[in-house]
Amino acid sequence: MMFYARVLEITLLYTIFVIWIYPLTGLTGLFSLGQGAFIVLGAYTAAISYLKFGFNPVIAIIFAVLLGIAVGALIGLPTLRLRKDYFLLITFGFSEMMRGLLLWTAQLTGGAMGIAGIPKYVRLPTISISVLVILLFMSNLKKTRFGKNCIAIKDDELAASAIGINVFSHKMKVFMLSAAVSAYAGALYAFNIMFIEPNLFNWIESAKLIIIVFVGGLNSLTGAFLTSVIYYTFGEVFRFANVWRDVILGFIVILVILFREKGLFGNWEFSITKIFRFLIHRLPTSKEGK
Amino acid sequence: MNMDFILQQILNGVSLGGVYALEAVGFGIIFNILKFSNFSHGAVLTICAYIGFFISTHIVSQMIPALVITAVLGGFIAVLLEKLVFRPIRIKKRPLTYFFVTSITVMMIVQKTFSALWGRYYFPYPEMMKSAVTSFGELVVSKIYLMMLAITAIVLLGLTIFLKKTKMGIAIRAASSDSWAPALMGVDTDFIISLTFFIAGILAGITGFFLGMTYTVTPFIGELMLKGIIAAIIGGMGSLGGGVIAGILLGITESIIVAKVGASVTPILIYLSIFVLLLVRPQGISGKLYAVKA
Repeated sequence: MMFYARVLEITLLYTIFVIWIYPLTGLTGLFSLGQGAFIVLGAYTAAISYLKFGFNPVIAIIFAVLLGIAVGALIGLPTLRLRKDYFLLITFGFSEMMRGLLLWTAQLTGGAMGIAGIPKYVRLPTISISVLVILLFMSNLKKTRFGKNCIAIKDDELAASAIGINVFSHKMKVFMLSAAVSAYAGALYAFNIMFIEPNLFNWIESAKLIIIVFVGGLNSLTGAFLTSVIYYTFGEVFRFANVWRDVILGFIVILVILFREKGLFGNWEFSITKIFRFLIHRLPTSKEGK
Repeated sequence: MNMDFILQQILNGVSLGGVYALEAVGFGIIFNILKFSNFSHGAVLTICAYIGFFISTHIVSQMIPALVITAVLGGFIAVLLEKLVFRPIRIKKRPLTYFFVTSITVMMIVQKTFSALWGRYYFPYPEMMKSAVTSFGELVVSKIYLMMLAITAIVLLGLTIFLKKTKMGIAIRAASSDSWAPALMGVDTDFIISLTFFIAGILAGITGFFLGMTYTVTPFIGELMLKGIIAAIIGGMGSLGGGVIAGILLGITESIIVAKVGASVTPILIYLSIFVLLLVRPQGISGKLYAVKA
């Protein structure tokens, strides 16, 4: 059962990454290939402030989140005013820049060797509570005025600004929020996996996060969640097929895009009570594993 | 820093920048006509780097014939991709984002397939002219760089003439400014889009061959497309001439920074300067700004 608990841990960890693509791509219609860089940023900030400066893990995670917000603001400021393609390409460049930065500051970050020997502070309960909180937050965000404004921006930017929605400020808020949570998830990753290196999350991993959201259905949070759980569990259980799973995912995406426009789950969502019921059924089995 | 050093770096930079310029044009020509960031350009580039390796080791050992075959095959691969994937999306009138997600998926499939199949091996191109050097006074230039520069110049010149003078070229330019009006004027838009993909594929083939020759062939060679994308941004998205100038400038800057400061700082400096550029002058060198139209 240890193995399954471990699989669940990793799956849920990656699911946090995927879920935070959802408000960015699914709600607002922005494509970021730099989410991986925020995850790496969070992981390194947490690990370095814990190992080199001796901060408490909680404070280290807070540092990671703050730095994520700051860097997110820095990148969003020049790019989010322009056409969406600029944002996409600059975040792509940002993820490469992050790698260059980590390799360059090798004295602090260990360069290509990465950082090993991070203690394991984050276990299954922390991760699952984080997933739960984020899911609840997100499903409510979708129903608020802010979320609806974001959907309007996704559908037609010009029309949204014509009816008085501040497009730039909405995009900026969503992007900074997603940067913050990506950095938080990265910090959890560092304290759970216990080893980080610069190539942890390159741009193709960030692209994969977007692709998973697309398979699940752009309008369905449940779809994004379930697809990511299936995909990452599959990867951990069928290790032997690991090299081919991305190829399979790719072909599924193309088929979905061609023949099922709205994604596998379309607009379908769990209601909150159903999510609670679902999780209550789920929790005892995961407790047994410990 | 003496004069010879700078000249040497500029010479290296120009031939490297020529490759970036080719990438920028291949990326930009699709962006112009379909208005999406075509990441599958990198996929064609990767496939062509492998094809070029196979052809030059097993079929013809001269550089020029191998390059031509690779380029034409690259063109056909791109057209095949367009017909299989992008055309159905276009016919079904899906939003633009679907094009982008598909193109990045194609890139992922190619990269992961190649790393699953041959990721363990090295594929160095044969030593065609690699060791040969010519010297002008103090300057030492490898012949391969000169060849690359000459071919790039010829290709770009030919493309310019094609786009400006021929009927099909004019149709491509017309379709870039508006996809609907040319169709009313009797232009076969489907054919024009296929033709554009063919041209982009040829450019990707040449770039793949050159990059495979200068570096080694790995599944990750397609990521070098990033430099071309950066050149396209600096040049102003959608302007081919701006992309060429920006590509060459990028090559020169890069080789000077690598030689003076070090290879590890180069990406950081280049991306920082792009952030500044976008803050100050988002329309790029050419000053062509694409607004979101209704």
